[in-house]
Amino acid sequence: MTLRLAQDGAALDARLAGVIRPRPKAATVVSVVTLLALLVLGIWSFAGLGFSLTSIINSLDNIPQFVARTVPFAWPGWHWDRESATLVSDGWAPVGEFVGAILMTLGIVIAGTFLAFLVSIPIAYGAARNTTPNPTVMVICRALGIIARAIPAVAFASIFVFLFALGPLPGVLAFFFHSIGMISKMMADAIEQIDEGPRLAIRSTGGSKAQEFWSGVVPQALPAWIAVGLHRADINLRETVILGYVGVAGLGLELSNSIHALNYRRAFPLAITIIVLCILFEIVSSMVRSRLLGVRPTGKGIGDTLVRAAARRSARFAASIEKPGVTTDRAAAIHAAMNRPWTGERLASRIAIWVAVVVVAGSFIAAQARWSDLFTFWGNLPILLDKDNLWPPTFGIYTNEQVFQAILVTFQVAFAATLMSAVLSIVVGSFAARNVAPNRYVRNGFRGLLLVIRGVPELILAILFVIVTGLGAQAGTLALAIGGVGLLGKLIADSLEEVPNGPERAISAVGGTRAQVYFASTLPMSIPAFVGHLLYLLEQNVRAATLLGIVGGGGIGLYLYDSLRVSKYDQVTAFLLLIIVLVLIIEGIAVFIRKALK
Amino acid sequence: MTVSGTSVVEITDLGKQYPGADDPALSGVSLTVDRGEVVVLLGLSGSGKSTLLRHIDGLELPTSGSVRALDQDVPSLRGRELRTLRGRIGFIFQQFEIVGPLTVLENVLTGALSRIRGPRVGVWSYSRELRLKALAHLDRVGLLERAYQRADTLSGGQQQRVAIARALMQDPEILLADEPVASLDPESSGQVMALIREIAAERGLTVVCSLHQVDLALGWGDRIVGLRAGKVVLDVSTDGLSRDQVMEIYGRVATTTSELQAIEQELSEVRGAMLAEELQRRDEDAR
Repeated sequence: MTLRLAQDGAALDARLAGVIRPRPKAATVVSVVTLLALLVLGIWSFAGLGFSLTSIINSLDNIPQFVARTVPFAWPGWHWDRESATLVSDGWAPVGEFVGAILMTLGIVIAGTFLAFLVSIPIAYGAARNTTPNPTVMVICRALGIIARAIPAVAFASIFVFLFALGPLPGVLAFFFHSIGMISKMMADAIEQIDEGPRLAIRSTGGSKAQEFWSGVVPQALPAWIAVGLHRADINLRETVILGYVGVAGLGLELSNSIHALNYRRAFPLAITIIVLCILFEIVSSMVRSRLLGVRPTGKGIGDTLVRAAARRSARFAASIEKPGVTTDRAAAIHAAMNRPWTGERLASRIAIWVAVVVVAGSFIAAQARWSDLFTFWGNLPILLDKDNLWPPTFGIYTNEQVFQAILVTFQVAFAATLMSAVLSIVVGSFAARNVAPNRYVRNGFRGLLLVIRGVPELILAILFVIVTGLGAQAGTLALAIGGVGLLGKLIADSLEEVPNGPERAISAVGGTRAQVYFASTLPMSIPAFVGHLLYLLEQNVRAATLLGIVGGGGIGLYLYDSLRVSKYDQVTAFLLLIIVLVLIIEGIAVFIRKALK
Repeated sequence: MTVSGTSVVEITDLGKQYPGADDPALSGVSLTVDRGEVVVLLGLSGSGKSTLLRHIDGLELPTSGSVRALDQDVPSLRGRELRTLRGRIGFIFQQFEIVGPLTVLENVLTGALSRIRGPRVGVWSYSRELRLKALAHLDRVGLLERAYQRADTLSGGQQQRVAIARALMQDPEILLADEPVASLDPESSGQVMALIREIAAERGLTVVCSLHQVDLALGWGDRIVGLRAGKVVLDVSTDGLSRDQVMEIYGRVATTTSELQAIEQELSEVRGAMLAEELQRRDEDAR
């Protein structure tokens, strides 16, 4: 028996030796190499940043001292009296100013994003492959988007602060210019994803290009467009913090002033306000988005419901429905149908439209911007140009060595944070996936956790970590890492849920445990998506890391900020260009890897 | 060439070669359709039916030959002229191609776009007259009650009827239908085909409809034109034609399928032989 088996084994080996093994697919090789590279670079970055448990634990010594200077919080309407060591009331006036600052912040964000949305429509039309009038227009529109995306909002803001002086207007304009980049690109993507059939149908009825666009393309792409706009508004709200650091009015400015005055009792309530605002905004916008994107054919039920609802409202219309066979008066039925019945659905959408109009119109008022400056700022242009200190760019007082070190730290922060997020996100994201979590309470719990993490702006986290631990780059890394879990965890959970579940059922049917199903089917099938998400997070982290320095989180941003503070505009130009180049490099690499993954 | 006034579509020696494709999609196709005729283009998928129909509406440009519709040279038309011609020709698609997120009524109204200028958003951007007309067409296809419902909440058969109402909105002289019932269940198919035939009779419309089912074609059209691999292989009137006769002709038309079946047969025999050999070798190895 054993002999027979051994012989079998030998014969099998001999035959196996003859089997040609197919080479792994290029995409597989690329994704494995990418994952390994991220792992190695991440570990190298941790070492390079001097991360160690002891340094973090030592930094915790700051906490008692920090708490003494922070608690109790001085919410608006109160101030800390040093002598009596108590909070003293200032009356209601500061509370009003505080509410005004909140509204102004929201106004700046919404007005800027809305303007970007409007301008993005023609740009997206030109940039989408299926609507663009000709290749030259396409290249120009895409280039506009790439440039707008590469220049950070804070860079736009710092230029506009100079042109228009401090206030809300530079913020509106900064969000406007920078948001065009992302919004126009994603709008164009949405246009490219539409079903071409209806467009063709409108063309075949003899519609013009414009008619084709408004009747065939826009109705299909609009929900995706609005979702993009809301998403961008979300991101912009987080960025108001950093715009405050360069002088844009609103909550960010108040926070930055308090921190520079070392008034942490004042700073913390402001930080908490911003966090709560961001979380609320995230919740509202994700609710609207899921409603918009979740509009699906609801089947037979809705038809009957609609007709019944219509019947209750309009007697004439009801008459036409109740006796469908006895259409004695066809013309009357058609005339009755000229008035659209006020169904619940119609009422809801009408209310939603008016709420949106009021919010957008209100945002332009709440921003309290001096819009007239838009027409008078030309006077300041010559000063900017004449001053001769915008160009040529120079690193000024910083040596090349220092600059190189700062760039290195910037990348290390990004890579270390990405690695940390990845490890945490696989766990959190898996439990947030419907097909992995043991029950829906666990899933919803983790989903909620991710939502809250996503709501907290990374820059606020960074500011808090820098204040609490007194560390620079490490604090920045921790902030990006935690913030990254909110994004990556959600993306991982979504792609786990999107995995085809036939194989999962097959493995359960074989008798596999929950864990076996996860490792044998769910996880392997979502690896390609995972690599894509990791690249995306890395890009985001590099962007964020270039700016972390502004709030004391290490990296090249510190030099930009210092140059701004001392009004050395030639240095500002140099560091801005450097940041743009760094962002473009990492984007280029990501685009290259994504192509190879396909 | 042919007497104009009676013929509305004149296609002469039409050839179409898509870039990158090995074989031409159409070659040497000639077809004349008289006013009021109901013609069925019969053929398997890939035989060139859709390509032919699209040429008549100027949605494709020919590689060679000429296409005339309503006394105009279609490939040479541009801009406003082409759109006006398209306005006079209705087109029904296999996948309905109505705009899902819009209401049924607005979908029908888009049929009027060639006659009005500028983009329109929302039902109210169309004139009262057009709205009344659209509602009347919806009533004709039996969907008046659905006017304000989102189009993607309708069933396939209903969506195709909306598409028919949209085509009627154009007041077309010719109706082109590209496999109008290929995506529908038999019951809805029957309804839709009957509706097209009724409307054609009511308005004296010229209809060119592509189909792949012989049975459906026989009872429905006045004339059957068979296509195979981009060539016309059959052109008969259905008057006094029996099912068997068509099947006989169509059998010749459809030799590609029988050829495929023969190849399939051969392949499975070879596979069986290989399997037997493999099993035998395993037995020997085991011993």
